[in-house]
Amino acid sequence: MTAASAPIEIAGLRKVFRQTTSGQSITAIDQLSLRIEPGELIAIVGKTGCGKSTLFDLLIGLEHPTAGSITIGGKTPYDDFNAFRGKIATIFQQDRLFPWRSALDNVKLPLELIGIAEDIQHERAMTWLKRLGLEKFANAYPRELSGGMRQRVAIARAFAVQPEILLADESFSALDEVTANELRKTFVELAREFKSTAILITHQLEEAMAVGDRIVVFGKSAALLADVRMADWDRADYALLREAIQNTLQANAPDARLK
Amino acid sequence: MISSLPRETIISIVLFAVAWQIMSYLAPSLGIPAFAIPGLGRIAQSLAKITPLDVAVTLGRVLLSLVVSFVIGLLVAMLMYLSESIEKYLRPMVRILMAVPVVSWILFAVLWFKGVEFRIVFVLVVVCAPVFTVDALDNMREVSRDLKQMIRSFRPTPFQFFHKLMLPAITPGIITSWKITLSLAIRVVTIAELVGAVTGIGHQLSVAQELFSVADVFAWTLVLVVLLFLLEALLVRLETRVLRWRA
Ligand SMILES: Nc1ncnc2c1ncn2[C@@H]1O[C@H](COP(=O)(O)OP(=O)(O)OP(=O)(O)O)[C@@H](O)[C@H]1O
Ligand SMILES: [Mg+2]
Repeated sequence: MTAASAPIEIAGLRKVFRQTTSGQSITAIDQLSLRIEPGELIAIVGKTGCGKSTLFDLLIGLEHPTAGSITIGGKTPYDDFNAFRGKIATIFQQDRLFPWRSALDNVKLPLELIGIAEDIQHERAMTWLKRLGLEKFANAYPRELSGGMRQRVAIARAFAVQPEILLADESFSALDEVTANELRKTFVELAREFKSTAILITHQLEEAMAVGDRIVVFGKSAALLADVRMADWDRADYALLREAIQNTLQANAPDARLK
Repeated sequence: MISSLPRETIISIVLFAVAWQIMSYLAPSLGIPAFAIPGLGRIAQSLAKITPLDVAVTLGRVLLSLVVSFVIGLLVAMLMYLSESIEKYLRPMVRILMAVPVVSWILFAVLWFKGVEFRIVFVLVVVCAPVFTVDALDNMREVSRDLKQMIRSFRPTPFQFFHKLMLPAITPGIITSWKITLSLAIRVVTIAELVGAVTGIGHQLSVAQELFSVADVFAWTLVLVVLLFLLEALLVRLETRVLRWRA
């Protein structure tokens, strides 16, 4: 099991997009600095369009920062793209399964990509399907599965590579509440068990508070409005905390109670 | 095979055959020369004389050319997908290739190349490969951005990217291209075979023309059409098998 060993260090990060149609520039992320410790479970909340998914694209290495840097163990996800093979996995809002592959083969995909021996691929993919209660559906195509089951397959696919860093972008928000709660719980359990660093993007404050060791609140262009450690708060004060974060989001400015 | 045809299809074919037979009876009294509309019996005789070797040779040329066209077409499409500047230079060339009439290609082939087989394959490939290229490229562009992003997040090699995502994703489109190029190739191969070939259905058609035998022309044409339908049926079976996941 590969537990995360290096912190994620984000320093002065900036990402500007030039709209191809209008020629206008959009600053999706402006001067973001953040340090995420190995094994930490962190939830990011923020209004729509505030740059959360862009941050993920940068963390995955799909986009290049306009300025500033993301460093993980001395390497950057974009420039040292291949150094992170098998170390980062993402669970997206939609399952993003290959419709032409069975559930089992979908879980196998990343194992094929990182070059794991073929006999081990099957075994490991099957183990993960079992973990998510899908062993009976190993040979089913995605169209034969419910939305919740498909998202389970996507979770199995992400964990199968035993990544050091797990990214979840509104992964449970397209599901009904019961299923969402269940999968969220599984996600947290697994992330803790494998000591992955996990970042969950959500627009539901309840979800953030249920999952995170730490809640980061983004304002416009990923401005860091608040950075709350749940350990600093008494369970009795959660209602207050909730209100303070809500207030921060609404006012687009830090609430005084969050220091 | 025949039992799986819709009733209307069978009826319309039978009606056509009956009409043809009546025309062939009436032809002499209408002042049409008897050889122009041979009776069904005469056509049956021609069919009995069909030489399987010529059919096999034509089929071989078609399949070989299609495989070559497919490989070239797909590789060019991949190059164009990977590099925007290659795409910009190649797209007009591909368009121009597709605008050139088949007859021009045949004349070029005759003037440029000596080998008969090479001429035929050249003509077929130059006609079919661009179809594969354009279709494959369009299909690759349409592959969901979400899936591309997902697989890229796992850091595939360029080969893995095509092998694991692009090829399976464009397989439905590729099968459609095969259907199009198959009927294209069957129709073009006979014209290409008219020039210099001493075997194949096209050659036999030109012999039939020299002998003024409408019955022979009819018989060979029938063989071609049936051949095309059989190949198409084969493709459809392959399609349902390969695209099981869509259902
Ligand atoms: N590839 C791109 N090209 C141009 N603009 C982009 C691109 N990606 C994101 N943007 C812009 O950057 C801003 C931030 O987008 P982002 O997707 O990161 O927001 P988000 O916080 O994830 O929002 P949501 O909660 O709705 O998912 C938006 O204004 C968006 O239009
Ligand atoms: Mg988003």
